[in-house]
Amino acid sequence: MNLGTRKLLDRSFTALGIGSIVIMAMTLLIVLVPIVTNGLGALVFKGTIEHRKMLAAEFNRGDRAELERQTALADSSRKPVYAMMAAFEQELTGMDEPRRQQYQQQYAQVRSAIQTLLGPIPGDPLPALTRSQYGQTRWEKAEERLHEVLYEKKWDYSNPDAPAKEYSVSRAAGFEGTSLVKLFPYVEKNIDRMLMPEWTLYWGFITDSSVDAHIFGGIWPEIQGTLFLAIGAMLFAFPLGVVAAIYFTEYAREGFFTSVLRSANSTLAGVPSIVFGLFGLAFFINTLKVSESKSVLAGSLTLAIMILPTIIRAAEEAILSVPKTYKEASLSLGSTKWNTIVTVILPAALPGIITGGVISLGRAAGETAPIIFTAAVSVGSAIGLADVFSSPTPALSWNIYNLASEHEAASEIRHVQYGMVLSLVTIVLLLNLSAIVLRARISQKLKG
Amino acid sequence: MFVVSARKRRVQKIAKVAGESTLLLFASFVAIVVFFIFFFVARDAVPYFQIRGFSEFFTSSEWYPADEPAQFGALAIIYGSAMVTLGSALIAIPMGITAAICLSDVLPFSVRQYAKPVIEMLAAIPSVAFGFFALVIFAPLLQNFGGPILMWAWWILAAPFLLLAVIITADLLTTSIADPGKRKLANMLIASLLGILALVLLFLVGRHLSAIQILTGTNALNVSIILSFMALPTIVSVSEDALQAVGRELREGSYALGATRAETIVKTILPAATSGILAAVILGIMRALGETMVVWMASGNSSHIPDPWFNYLESVRTLTATIAGDMGEADQVTGSARFHVLFAMGLLLLVISFISNLVSERIVVRQRKILSGQ
Repeated sequence: MNLGTRKLLDRSFTALGIGSIVIMAMTLLIVLVPIVTNGLGALVFKGTIEHRKMLAAEFNRGDRAELERQTALADSSRKPVYAMMAAFEQELTGMDEPRRQQYQQQYAQVRSAIQTLLGPIPGDPLPALTRSQYGQTRWEKAEERLHEVLYEKKWDYSNPDAPAKEYSVSRAAGFEGTSLVKLFPYVEKNIDRMLMPEWTLYWGFITDSSVDAHIFGGIWPEIQGTLFLAIGAMLFAFPLGVVAAIYFTEYAREGFFTSVLRSANSTLAGVPSIVFGLFGLAFFINTLKVSESKSVLAGSLTLAIMILPTIIRAAEEAILSVPKTYKEASLSLGSTKWNTIVTVILPAALPGIITGGVISLGRAAGETAPIIFTAAVSVGSAIGLADVFSSPTPALSWNIYNLASEHEAASEIRHVQYGMVLSLVTIVLLLNLSAIVLRARISQKLKG
Repeated sequence: MFVVSARKRRVQKIAKVAGESTLLLFASFVAIVVFFIFFFVARDAVPYFQIRGFSEFFTSSEWYPADEPAQFGALAIIYGSAMVTLGSALIAIPMGITAAICLSDVLPFSVRQYAKPVIEMLAAIPSVAFGFFALVIFAPLLQNFGGPILMWAWWILAAPFLLLAVIITADLLTTSIADPGKRKLANMLIASLLGILALVLLFLVGRHLSAIQILTGTNALNVSIILSFMALPTIVSVSEDALQAVGRELREGSYALGATRAETIVKTILPAATSGILAAVILGIMRALGETMVVWMASGNSSHIPDPWFNYLESVRTLTATIAGDMGEADQVTGSARFHVLFAMGLLLLVISFISNLVSERIVVRQRKILSGQ
């Protein structure tokens, strides 16, 4: 082979490797950027007056006097809409039968579209569901709804080979020649005044509990549940893992028994997470009966078993990286083995052990499969500390799945889902970042 | 040695034994847990086989657990698991190994410092976040722009490799020509001829790909791609360890013989690290096989064998997703075949992961022995 070709091959080989790493970095960006930008949209958004009404009614928050002033203003610009609708309803009764039937159906669509946009129409009974008691609380959703008021969605099936195409038809054209035709330009022109969008920073998204299955409100019960589960898992796994690591590094004699124990550790690390869930259900709940049914305790125990191998490995590494001279100095001063471990080795290894613990904490917080059968419920309020032994909890990871895949209005509350994903990813990545920083400082310290 | 009474010495000895056995108890806890996991999962899996026998589970692909009479054929589900695992392995293994080589042998230390946290962060992102990405962002993209995406992926991935292949083939075909002028001419002729062929190939396949209509974005391809990125960090970090374990002497010996870096890596380091890399690959594949949330959310969950069998654009259903998805409904009927069949699937996963773990561990131990020259 030519020298030139050999060099080319060498270069392209390097390019291949760098390319793989670049692709990984890009993937990280591609995954994180939409999550961060859309997730922030749950906190910072253009909120309409309906959002402020909802906050006042459900959470007793906000400036009452200002809200009343704004409501009055908004109502005054909404009045003509309702007046026009009433007038048209009058007109309908005077029409002959075929025309009336033709309009009635179309008008019903317009009416319900206006109702979703602006909230209950005055004179109607208050709807039972909280979600129908308010209009659109977010401006970008309001714009979508406005489009539904103005245009009718239709499907084009003319080409049987291709999937049906969607197209819009102006509703105003359908009401040509009636009094309702003026409604559409009026709504389009005055939507700002009817909904009064303002930039809103909604901190409550993190601290509020949800209203009407996450249609409104925040995600505090989920955040709290995640913290309870993760911290609970650490309470069990951390001491156990550290003691086991001390045994493996300081006491274990190499032999068949120790190698079995080590094998068990790596086996446990490789068990699929869903199997932990099955085990938690079969053992902690159905056999030990630590609780009636799902509970935080059962979930924490299951998660603890899952993160145990990680903690043991990290602690082992940290203990092994303590310089031998420390131990020898301590032993030569006449202290016992156990004394040396507690007073010399563990303090020196502590930062490394904590790094492993922090990473495991992040893993426990982010894991979903083990808690599906053991701890997580889809709806619920924040539970008290005393309830952890008996009651299940909502948790971020499980509710992300639940809201995205099983919620009846999944595509309506994408912002809540993004907000949850962002919260979870932030918790996990912050824990990991602090572990990375901690480790960098340790390695600097060990270098001297 | 201090002089202590016999009695005190005995007390000390007892305390030491007691302390050490306590430590041993804590350390054996992991082994006990592993045993318990096997025992309790198997205990709830066995009743299924007692009720329904073995053959239906492994040979039928009719999965209708809620029907009367119920059918529990898991073949399509096992196939779905195998399919997405294979798909993710096809993407993750080449990328992971080249990235590991790059990290251990190519990149300067300063760049490596920034590349490692990227990989760690990729490993830390919760699986449900990946699942959400796959379902909400990636699946609609695939569904709406599937053809163009496939075409661009083909162009970007295939073009550099084909270019390289053209140059090398031309070079190899002309090495036997002695006269430098003639050789250059022949080289250029063959290269341009092959280049045109490669372009035609690129163009034809690209056009074919861009015409593909993807009916659903929640399919095996989507899941395979996302799973491969979840398996990558494992593959990269374990293979990098294996590559680092190959000593400096081998590398320096190869350079001294005049080999380029690529030749050193491919012909010297990789063969020495093969078993470690194999272990990394096994661990990475297990990560993909055992993953639940991504496949549950984005695989479409339809229990059938795609037609044709390699059609990655169809929805599939996997073992993990079935366990997660069906338990909610089967939970109320503890003792039924519908409940126990999920444990049978769990047992299957557990056994596979156990075996592959043992294998990868053996491989690593063997490599360490060979490298240390025992």
